[in-house]
Amino acid sequence: MDKNNIQETRLSADILIVGGGIAGLTAAVAAKEKNPDAKVLVIEKQTAGYGGKANKGGGVLQWFDPQMKADDFLQYHTPAVACYLGNQNVTKKYIEMNNDMIERLDRWGVTIPKFKIPTGPMTFMVGIDLDNCLKMRNTAKKLGVEIVNKVTISDLLTDGDKIAGAVGYSIVDGTFYVVEAKTVILATGSQNYRIQPMWSCGRGDAIAAAYRAGAEMRNCEFGNFSQLYKKNTLQEWVFCENNMFNALGENVTQNFRRFPEADISATAIREWYEQMSMGKGPIHLVMEGRQGGLSAWDRPYGVPFWDADHGKAEGRDPELEMCPGFIGEQSPLNVDENMESTIKGLYGAGDVSYCGSGASGAVPAPPGRNRGSGILNAVYAGILAGEHSAEAVKEAEAPKACEGQIAKYKEEAFAPLFKEEGYRAIDLIDAVQKVVGPVEYSVYMSEYRINIALRKLEKAKAMVGNLKANDLHGVLECHEAEAMLLCAEMMFKAALMRKESRGWFLREDYPVMDNENWLKWIIVKNENGEMTLSTKDIPIDTYPVGLPRF
Amino acid sequence: MIFQNHTIEFDPTNCVGCKMCYQACFIDVIQWDAENKRPVFKYMNECEHCNYCEVSCKKGCIKVIVNWESQRFIQSFDMYK
Ligand SMILES: Cc1cc2nc3c(=O)[nH]c(=O)nc-3n(C[C@H](O)[C@H](O)[C@H](O)COP(=O)(O)OP(=O)(O)OC[C@H]3O[C@@H](n4cnc5c(N)ncnc54)[C@H](O)[C@@H]3O)c2cc1C
Ligand code: SF4
Ligand code: SF4
Repeated sequence: MDKNNIQETRLSADILIVGGGIAGLTAAVAAKEKNPDAKVLVIEKQTAGYGGKANKGGGVLQWFDPQMKADDFLQYHTPAVACYLGNQNVTKKYIEMNNDMIERLDRWGVTIPKFKIPTGPMTFMVGIDLDNCLKMRNTAKKLGVEIVNKVTISDLLTDGDKIAGAVGYSIVDGTFYVVEAKTVILATGSQNYRIQPMWSCGRGDAIAAAYRAGAEMRNCEFGNFSQLYKKNTLQEWVFCENNMFNALGENVTQNFRRFPEADISATAIREWYEQMSMGKGPIHLVMEGRQGGLSAWDRPYGVPFWDADHGKAEGRDPELEMCPGFIGEQSPLNVDENMESTIKGLYGAGDVSYCGSGASGAVPAPPGRNRGSGILNAVYAGILAGEHSAEAVKEAEAPKACEGQIAKYKEEAFAPLFKEEGYRAIDLIDAVQKVVGPVEYSVYMSEYRINIALRKLEKAKAMVGNLKANDLHGVLECHEAEAMLLCAEMMFKAALMRKESRGWFLREDYPVMDNENWLKWIIVKNENGEMTLSTKDIPIDTYPVGLPRF
Repeated sequence: MIFQNHTIEFDPTNCVGCKMCYQACFIDVIQWDAENKRPVFKYMNECEHCNYCEVSCKKGCIKVIVNWESQRFIQSFDMYK
C-alpha cells in the first residue's frame, strides 16, 4: 500500500450498524420494520451471518413460562443473581418481551426447536438452530438493509456531543471508509482476550473507539467471565460445577453450593483456586450422581457442527480434570433504557453493552448466570436500539462530519503499516493474556494482586502506539491488541475501586457485600486522555425490588 | 489462544470456488485467492478450530486437524504443585 495514495470510499446512511452478529442483524431488521424508508447499513469486520458468537455452539434460548409474572422473577433474581446491582427496569422488560422475542425470531425465519428444559429457578431453555444469523441476514436483505463485509470500523465521528458517523478500512484491500450517519448502533460484541477458542472474535476495538470518543463505560469490573473446562481439550463443560471433587475424593461443590441456585458461578472458580492452593488439587468431575444436563447429541439440529466439535475432542479427557478458562466478556458501553449511550445518537446492542446496560446486575455478559440469555439479550437490545433509532432519524438533521477528525483517524488507522520498526501485536496480546488469565488475578481478586496486574499492564503500555504490522490483517490485530489492553486496564481499575464482594465480583480482602457504601455503579471515562473513575448511586428506591429490611 | 498449531488438510480436487469456507471464518484466518478461486489458509497459527470452514464446505475439501497439545491454559498451575 502507498501511504500517499490510499483509496477512499464515502458512504452515508440514516442508521449505521457496526457488527453483523445477532444483535446487529436484529437491530437492522427491527429498524427497517419500524421505518422502511430509513437507509440502514450494516458494516461487518468479517462476514455478516457467519461472524460473531451466536452460531458457535450453545444453541439454546432462555424461556419463561408466559404464566410467570416478571415481578416474581425479579424477586428471585434481584437478590440471588443481580445482587441489587442491575437496572431492574431493563431486566423486567427483557423478561416481559421473552415470548414475543421468540415469536419474532420465528417470524424472521430462525428455527427454534421448542423442547423445554429447566435450567435454574423459574427459568427454562428452548433451542435455537446455529444458522440463526444466516436467516437473520436473509431477512435483513429482503427488507432492503445494505451489508458491507470485511470492513472494520476503527473510530467514531462526532459532532459536539452527537454522533456523526464512523470510519474504518477494508481488511482485504485497505480502502478507507468514511460513513456519515444520523445514528450509529454498535453491535460489535464483547472483548474476550483471545484466550478461549469459540469466544475469540470479541476483540474490543469498537469498545475502545467508543471510549476514545468519550462514551462512558459502566460495570467494567464485571468483565471477568470465566468457566470450567475440560483440561486437555478446552471443551465447555455444562453443569460440571455441580460435581467437583478434589484429590482427596471430597465433594467440594458442597463448599459453595448448598441449595439449588443459578449455575455458572464465580464461587466455583474461587473453590478451584482454593483447593489448588491448599494442595488438594487437581479437581475432577465425578460422574456418579451427576445432575442431568442437555447432552449435545440429544439436539436434533446443528449436527455437523457438533459432530466435528465434540467428535474430535472425544476420549481426550479420560481423567475428567477441570480447570477454569478465563474468557472476559468485557461489555461495558454504558447505555440507558433505550440502549442509547452517553453520546447522543450512539447506541449499543448486545454483548458490547450487556454490563453497561445494567441488564442483569452483578454478573458478566451472557450467559452470566442465565443460560441462553446471550442471544436473547442481543435480540432485546437490538430491537430497542433499532426501533428507537428508526424513530430518531425521522427528525434528525443530516450529520456534519469533521474533516479534521477524519484525516486524523485515517492516519492512525494505518500507522502500524508504515512503521519502520515496532513491537509485534502478539507480544502485547501475550503480555495482557498473562495478566488476565490466572483467575487469582482476574476472578478471585485482592488489592495486592490487582496492583501487580496493573503494574504489569503499565509496563505493557510501552508497546501501545509502537506496534508494527506487515499487512492489513496485522493492522487490525494491532488495534485489537491495544483495545485488549485498554479493556484490562478498565477492569482492574474499577475492580480496585470496588471494595466489597458482590455476585460474580469476588474480593479476597473484602469478602462481604456492602450495601451501605457500594450500592453504586462505577463509571469509567476518557477525559482528555486520562482514564477517570467515578460512581453513580443505584436508584434502588425506584425499582420494584428494594433492599432486604434486616 | 493465539498462536497454536492447528492445521488444515485441503484437498482442492472437488473445490468449486464457492467461497463458503472463506465467508465462514469468523476471524480472518482464511484469505481468498480471487484469481484461482481458491481459499488460502494464511494465518493458521490464529485458527481456533471452530470447524466452520470444514462443516460449511459442501464438497468435503477441508479437514481441520486440531493440535490439542498446542493449546494452553493461561493459568498458574505450577505454583500449586
Ligand atoms: C461457545 C459459545 C456458546 C454460546 N452459547 C449460547 C447459547 O446457547 N445461548 C445464548 O443465548 N447465548 C450463547 N452464547 C452467547 C451469545 O452467542 C452471545 O451473547 C451473542 O451472540 C452476542 O451477540 P452480539 O451480536 O452482541 O455479538 P457477537 O456475536 O460477538 O457479534 C459481533 C459482530 O461484530 C463484528 N465486529 C466486531 N468489531 C467490529 C468492528 N470494529 N467493525 C465491524 N464489525 C465488528 C464481529 O465480527 C461480529 O460479527 C454463546 C457464546 C459462545 C462463544
Ligand atoms: S476452523 Fe474456524 S477459525 Fe480455523 S480456519 Fe476454519 S473457520 Fe477459521
Ligand atoms: S467451501 Fe469448499 S468448495 Fe467452496 S471454495 Fe471452500 S473449499 Fe472450495
